[in-house]
Amino acid sequence: MIRLRNIEKVYEQGVNKTYVLRRVDLDVREGEFVSIMGPSGAGKSTLLAILGLFDSAWTGEYHFWDAAVHRLGKKERAELHKSHIGFVFQSYHLLDHLTVYENLDVPLSYKDIKKAERQAMVADVLDRFQIVGKKDLYPNQLSGGQQQLVAVARAVISNPKLILADEPTGNLHSSQGREIMELFKRLNDEGTTIIQVTHSEQNAQFGHRVVQLADGWVVKE
Amino acid sequence: MNTFGQDIRYGFRMLWKSPGFTLVTVLALALGIGANTAIFSVVNTVLLRPLPYANGERIVFMGEWSQQVPGMSVSYPNFIDWRDQQQTMERIAAFRSANYVVTGGGEPERLDGRQVSAGFFEVLGVQPALGRNFTPEEDKPGATPVALISHGFWQRRLGGDPSIVNKQLQLSNESYTVVGVLPQTFEWQSPVDVFVPVGLGAGNPNMTERGNHPGMYVLGLLKPNVTVEQARTEIKAIAERLAVQYPDSNGGQSAVLDSLQARAVQDIRPALLLLLAAVGFVLLIACANVANLLLARAASRSKEIAIRTALGAGRLRIIRQLLTESLLLSLMGGALGLLFAMWGIDALLAALPENVPRLLVSGIGLNTPVLLFTLTVSVLTGLLFGLAPALQASKSNLNETLKDGGRTSAGVGRQRVRNVLVVAEVALSLLLLVSAGLLIKSFMRLQETELGFNSDNVLTLRVPLPEARYTQNGQVENFWDELMRRVRALPGVESAGLTRGLPMNGGIESGIMVEGQETTNPKDATVAVNLYADPGYFKAMDIKLVNGRFISEQDTKDSPLVVMVDEMFVSKFFPSADPVGKRLRIGGDRAPLRNIIGVFKHMKHYGPDEEDEGRVEIYTPYRQVPQEFFAASNRSLWLAVKTKGDPTSLAPAIRNEVLQIDKDQPISNISTMENIVAATVAPQKFATWLLAVFAATAMLLAAIGIYGVMAYSVTQRTHEIGIRMALGAGRRDVLRMVVSQGMKLAFIGVALGLAGAVLLTRLMSSLLYGVSATDPLTYGGVSVLLATVALLACLIPARKATRVDPMIALRYE
Ligand SMILES: Nc1ncnc2c1ncn2[C@@H]1O[C@H](COP(=O)(O)OP(=O)(O)OP(=O)(O)O)[C@@H](O)[C@H]1O
Ligand SMILES: [Mg+2]
Repeated sequence: MIRLRNIEKVYEQGVNKTYVLRRVDLDVREGEFVSIMGPSGAGKSTLLAILGLFDSAWTGEYHFWDAAVHRLGKKERAELHKSHIGFVFQSYHLLDHLTVYENLDVPLSYKDIKKAERQAMVADVLDRFQIVGKKDLYPNQLSGGQQQLVAVARAVISNPKLILADEPTGNLHSSQGREIMELFKRLNDEGTTIIQVTHSEQNAQFGHRVVQLADGWVVKE
Repeated sequence: MNTFGQDIRYGFRMLWKSPGFTLVTVLALALGIGANTAIFSVVNTVLLRPLPYANGERIVFMGEWSQQVPGMSVSYPNFIDWRDQQQTMERIAAFRSANYVVTGGGEPERLDGRQVSAGFFEVLGVQPALGRNFTPEEDKPGATPVALISHGFWQRRLGGDPSIVNKQLQLSNESYTVVGVLPQTFEWQSPVDVFVPVGLGAGNPNMTERGNHPGMYVLGLLKPNVTVEQARTEIKAIAERLAVQYPDSNGGQSAVLDSLQARAVQDIRPALLLLLAAVGFVLLIACANVANLLLARAASRSKEIAIRTALGAGRLRIIRQLLTESLLLSLMGGALGLLFAMWGIDALLAALPENVPRLLVSGIGLNTPVLLFTLTVSVLTGLLFGLAPALQASKSNLNETLKDGGRTSAGVGRQRVRNVLVVAEVALSLLLLVSAGLLIKSFMRLQETELGFNSDNVLTLRVPLPEARYTQNGQVENFWDELMRRVRALPGVESAGLTRGLPMNGGIESGIMVEGQETTNPKDATVAVNLYADPGYFKAMDIKLVNGRFISEQDTKDSPLVVMVDEMFVSKFFPSADPVGKRLRIGGDRAPLRNIIGVFKHMKHYGPDEEDEGRVEIYTPYRQVPQEFFAASNRSLWLAVKTKGDPTSLAPAIRNEVLQIDKDQPISNISTMENIVAATVAPQKFATWLLAVFAATAMLLAAIGIYGVMAYSVTQRTHEIGIRMALGAGRRDVLRMVVSQGMKLAFIGVALGLAGAVLLTRLMSSLLYGVSATDPLTYGGVSVLLATVALLACLIPARKATRVDPMIALRYE
């Protein structure tokens, strides 16, 4: 499903060049559940942004199914992302002035989905994540953990083929974290490919394999 | 005081540090304040300043009143009775127009003159620069003729002769002794060359008859502490007493009295007030814009303010600091505005219609009251746009601000104020656009009005034959016959005609009585505009014949008396019968009957905006004017000459033909029918174009306002937009989101503006012609226009929003 070859990412600051990713090769098959681990600043989020097709300032080859991402324009990448990928941000990025319900509806509103169907999908997710009671609250009325829960719910709501999650359990206590992991596991069992960044060995256990990053290098697979 | 100085120093430093902001703000304010200063300088001089006479505030204007002619001139005997009976005024004096031809010492020249009663200049409070005023003894029939001359005439014609007093002047072949020269600063409603006592001619029948209204009006000087209202009550009472005393001539009549000031400005007043309101709105919009800029800046300064607060500054102290800054801005705007106003005033004066009396206009400029106005407006402006942002900023919570970059409740509140300001801007500019739209539409209507004649390529001029040399009816008729023969023979002349009065300038009004439909009381007779012309006039003016025939060369003084009537006459007297062949009398039941020979299309003799009813018009052949008035009526006819090319180019040739017939005979009032028509709509044109300019400015400012708010909102929402794009929002989605946010504001503004327009445009109905104050087409049109402009203003920030990189969302991690 995903094939990265020789991916390099550089930040240039004046004369200084900071390599964030160095010659990264990575293959992920459909249906895999991969955990990316590594110390802070290793480039995990950077890699995830590239996988999520947000970042286009890199070199190398990236094949997403039969699409050669490195040759795609901005618009096509956005289209590809929209139709296949659900993304959980490291700092959740809920929209402050929208309720939980509305936040969940946002990704659906950008797809060609009828209103009634959208309502059903939101209701379903609210139910699955047991946050029905919170649906009319604003993000700043939720705890950090609850916000993260909503962020994960928002990523899975449109049943993406690939879920990219940047520390989806960072702010959850362990039982909540486990619930998310079990949900991922379930989705994975149903065929969703999942790539998560995590610091927790425990969470990594839910996946099939671990990719270790350090200073931008893949050090262990 | 010390801290105040510190505030000012600090304020300057802050403004200096953000030059872009300062420049934009000062420019917007300068535009608004400059426009207000310019319009105020005109309003102040024209409407508020007393007339430039020593007694300016106490001068009143009087005329007679009847049901049919509400602003009738005053008959001489009535004037004498008013003068003798009234007690509320120190003195009253009469004046009427009279034209003279001066001969001797150069080419004959037609002069604009006034016949005035003794005391006229005392009422105004004017002392001659040389010599003296008229005495009551000189204001009588048979007195030695005397004259007062204007400074301009004295300089122009008489070379400023310092010993002119007591010298003789040949006016229309009579010798007048010059008794004085008026001061250079003296101005009357229109330029006047010479004044003579009206009493010299008081023995003539047109003056002795109480029922005759010889175009004479009356001025009065109120006694101190007498109000206009008191004088009005008194003069009305006198006139109504006379009406009872002389029922034949005065039955049903009364009098009108108003301050001369109010009378002089009555035409231009509504337009000026409208313009003043318009520039006021423009300034409000500019204020809203500046307030928005300040709010945006306050957001970025909230940290500074929080720190100041943390260091112990009270809320008042913070507000004062911020207000000092906005006052500095508005005063800078005011200073630059004065510069703009100087140009603006020049432009205004150039655009001011010529028929605004010159004495009203003299002295327009940046004088003390105007400067005070500008200072006041600047300070008020500074407080107005500075207060809301200062209050907002000083409210910001220390803890929240230091914790969070501005996406706090205070930020939301600020956005709400900004939204309200933009809505207000849009509403105000819509109001202005509607007003301008209505005026433009009326102006177009005015120009499209069917005038009843064709003004293309028609030269108009007047040949005033002096009474002294043209005493006999035959002399007068021969002169016109000879002149018209020569003019028609000139190359480039298509046709030429003579008339007693051209359209657009009103006319002589006479009562008419239709045979078989006579009124029992002659006073109730229908008043018609009584016009004389020769056959060529109808051709030259391309007047439309509806029925019957035009006046022809066969209608002479010896042939049966004929008259032509307009359609209005027909609908009034013969709505279902053929009027041709019917008969009517002009001017009383003893006047002879005349055969109606034809019907012509109504002509606008009272300007294109004459009320729909207008007045019935009749034409008689000038040759059939009764012999006893023939010379008097026909000495000063107008020529209308239809030319093949540029009409004015024929004026010298015609002047030459006149001189060939009579080497002492001047011609006057050379113009074209097109210019005469254009002059009648000049005030409307003036108001229309100025308002259009202000409305366009308002729209531009509102667009900038929308742009500013949306651009600011987009930067504030960059992060959110990034997230949305990461969640799948496409370019279109983002575009739609930003545009719909801005357009929501625009639509609320448009809706409020429309409601305001429905309420307020009623006030300008006196300026409208042929269009209702709630014309749906105008309302719809300007709404669409403004919405389109608002859309464009939203699109720029919206496009910027679509270029947000979803990576933004990730970078916040
Ligand atoms: N805009 C930028 N300019 C320069 N350097 C950057 C920029 N964004 C990220 N970096 C650098 O790239 C490196 C990798 O960052 P990244 O966010 O991918 O780390 P991470 O592995 O996700 O760390 P963490 O576990 O703390 O989230 C870091 O050293 C960071 O300083
Ligand atoms: Mg990270």
